[in-house]
Amino acid sequence: MTPETAVVQALNGISFGALLFILAAGLSLIFGMMDVVNLAHGAFYMLGAYITLTVVQRTGQFWLALLLAPPLIGALGLVMEPLLLRRLRGRHLDQVLLTIGVSLVIADLVGLTWGREIRSVPFPAGLDHAISILGGDYPVYRLFVIAFGVVLAVILAIVHRRTRVGALIRAGVQDAPMLAALGVDIDRLFAVTFAIGAALAGLAGVIAAPVFGIYPGMDVDYLIYSLVVVVVGGLGTLSGAVAGSALIGPIDTFGKVLFPQFALALIFAVMALVLLLRPTGLLGRIRIAR
Amino acid sequence: MTSVLSRARTLQLVGALIAAALLVTFPIWSTPWEGSRYATSILRDMLILAILALSLDLLVGSAGMPSLGHAAYFGAGAYAAAIAGQRFGSDDLLLGLGAAILVSSLLALAIGAVAVRAAGIFFLMLTLAFAQMVFAVAFQAADITGGSNGFSGVRRPMLFGLDFNGPDALFHLVAVVFLLVLLLVWRIRSSTYGRALVGLRENERRMRALGYDTTRLKLSAFVLAGAIAGVGGALQAYSIRFVSTNDVGVARSVEAFVSVLIGGASTLLGPVVGAIVVLFIERVMPSYIAFAETVLGLVFIIFVLAARQGIVGMVRVAYARARA
Amino acid sequence: MIETRDLRREFGGIKALDGVSLKVAQGERRAIIGPNGAGKTTLFNVLTGELEPTAGEVRLAGENVTGRRPHELARRGVGRMYQRNELFDPLPARENVAIAVAAAAGPYRPFRSPPPSELVAADELLERVGLGARQATPARALSHGERRQLELAVALARRPRVLLLDEPTAGMSPAETARITELIASLDRSLTLVIVEHDMDVVFQLAERITVLHEGRVIAEGTPAQVRGDTLVNEVYLGKVVA
Repeated sequence: MTPETAVVQALNGISFGALLFILAAGLSLIFGMMDVVNLAHGAFYMLGAYITLTVVQRTGQFWLALLLAPPLIGALGLVMEPLLLRRLRGRHLDQVLLTIGVSLVIADLVGLTWGREIRSVPFPAGLDHAISILGGDYPVYRLFVIAFGVVLAVILAIVHRRTRVGALIRAGVQDAPMLAALGVDIDRLFAVTFAIGAALAGLAGVIAAPVFGIYPGMDVDYLIYSLVVVVVGGLGTLSGAVAGSALIGPIDTFGKVLFPQFALALIFAVMALVLLLRPTGLLGRIRIAR
Repeated sequence: MTSVLSRARTLQLVGALIAAALLVTFPIWSTPWEGSRYATSILRDMLILAILALSLDLLVGSAGMPSLGHAAYFGAGAYAAAIAGQRFGSDDLLLGLGAAILVSSLLALAIGAVAVRAAGIFFLMLTLAFAQMVFAVAFQAADITGGSNGFSGVRRPMLFGLDFNGPDALFHLVAVVFLLVLLLVWRIRSSTYGRALVGLRENERRMRALGYDTTRLKLSAFVLAGAIAGVGGALQAYSIRFVSTNDVGVARSVEAFVSVLIGGASTLLGPVVGAIVVLFIERVMPSYIAFAETVLGLVFIIFVLAARQGIVGMVRVAYARARA
Repeated sequence: MIETRDLRREFGGIKALDGVSLKVAQGERRAIIGPNGAGKTTLFNVLTGELEPTAGEVRLAGENVTGRRPHELARRGVGRMYQRNELFDPLPARENVAIAVAAAAGPYRPFRSPPPSELVAADELLERVGLGARQATPARALSHGERRQLELAVALARRPRVLLLDEPTAGMSPAETARITELIASLDRSLTLVIVEHDMDVVFQLAERITVLHEGRVIAEGTPAQVRGDTLVNEVYLGKVVA
């Protein structure tokens, strides 16, 4: 591997990691607050990508998709939590099963609405060129993804640590029943948390659309990625999502280049290793529901 | 002297035998209205899914271990049977089934050794992720498995000179194996081992305090379930003469899980009923409506919300109420 | 029979057990008392293998069993009646006990149905603890007192050599307390009993020797009379208890 290729792959790995962070942050948030592993997370991601497809087709404006899709998907989450999940409050496994059902429905409806071929959207105007790195051309959009991920991480960290919403979320992750006893409207907090998580997944879908592809089955693929990221990094914490994605992104990318035969299995090997050595993930606190 | 109780039992037994005979001979007596063998193939696939669901229920229902990656062992069994037949140039059914059971059991042992250390949702996530790993390997190792193109040309099996050539013969084979699996699962569920699994589900701490090595118990259930799933996979390979990565994929695992839940977890016939319902929605419905998967998802959601005990569970409750 | 040597267990700086050494002879009836947080439950958790000590030894009939896992200790004859019942809630009382009886009988066989002798043994035991009429009732449908009785039956069914009773009378009415105390008193003398209790009447009724724990340490040990007269014990614990 030449130095040029290495740098290119490193950037690819970091940009993939940035995307994984945006995706996994939502999953980790929902689990941390509600003890629910949202298996519809990949479906929300997929929805974000396909909505981007339509918006770009109709208006040619990628940025419009960035503005529209996350709130729309967040709204879907805002409806879904009280309508479906709340009835199963306390039954964590059943809530997870329910999200499976939701993902089946969303995936099928997406396929029916948009068809089952592989689709794509072009890089948005302004980010559709390449810049020269070490003699080769590298797509600027990918650098944008990295920057976006970093900025988002910083924003989320600030909100998490410095705002009232963040404090509520931190407290809720720590001890939701206590929060309810203190008079906080837990129902609304859970619904909003779920909506934010869903919106983040949708956001990841929008960002990913120009570079990582739009195809049936992407919901499963990226659900698996986000699960691996949070298991490795640690479920329930923001820093866990950062650690996990920072690790898995590059490993997956380099793996595909260096050992194409085993690339897909490589990240699972990493996951198994982390589990054997440090079952709670690198930086997380897993509450194992029984 | 025939007491009322043993007469009821005899009736049950006779009824079961008649049902079994009807099932096995289905292609024969259904010929008048079923020339194209369409219903036969659907029923055959229902029985294969039922085998997978029955094996999964040992984990999900009896032992309370929610596995979402069970298709890995089903697919492993399918590939093993197909590849063994090719490598050894043999049609022998016992070889194929033997290979399927061996490979799926070993795979379940390897994955289970890591996965059973977790419980509940975490276990669910692990089984899902590991199954994807198996999918990835099956996909990449194209020279052995055929990769994304799949493995075609699975040989028709033979048993002691009996050639299972033709859809009818294969149906008989699948039906007989299904009945054997049903019998096996029934024996397991009513044995002390089966009861130990239930104890494991209900209170692992107490089981440990009573001297049961719960980790080993969980692992044994995981391997047993994997082995039975492998048998189902082998039958699938023989039936459609083709194995693809779909057989190890998430969709298949979810299919099995949905079957168990809709039919009724921790019951003998629940997984069977569930498999019939699920395949009906997936294979028969699409001829009439375009959104069959959506229907499946919605049905599943409804059952999780309002009928968690599944169809057989609801029937039991209704029956008990009627008798009271 | 069961012995600990300088047992220590820390939880992030908090010394739950700070050098506990005690020896319980075979067949003895030993009570462990002390204020909340004294380390009684931690001690039990170490004795059953559910918790590993940070230092010290546990010996069972002379054998060093420190660090052994719960099922290994159970097979060596350590039984426990948990403070918060550990039962199989949806199963009938008789099934709860039957599972324990089966465990005592040895490794399970995959395809054999439970032998009828098992249910007979289970029913007998249920009769013994006073649940003869409730054999078919699911554990979760039993009253609190009945669940405690079932918990005891399950622990006994395993035929332990040492039985750890964790607050057996917790949450019971006076009548239920009397009944279960009588039951415990009638247990075979070959069985070693270690009882954690807050109800001093029960303690003085059942115990031959009492160990008093406070802040993870043994502050007194002796016959009931000795312990009752001990000034430190009275200051720290007994004086506060409404006798």
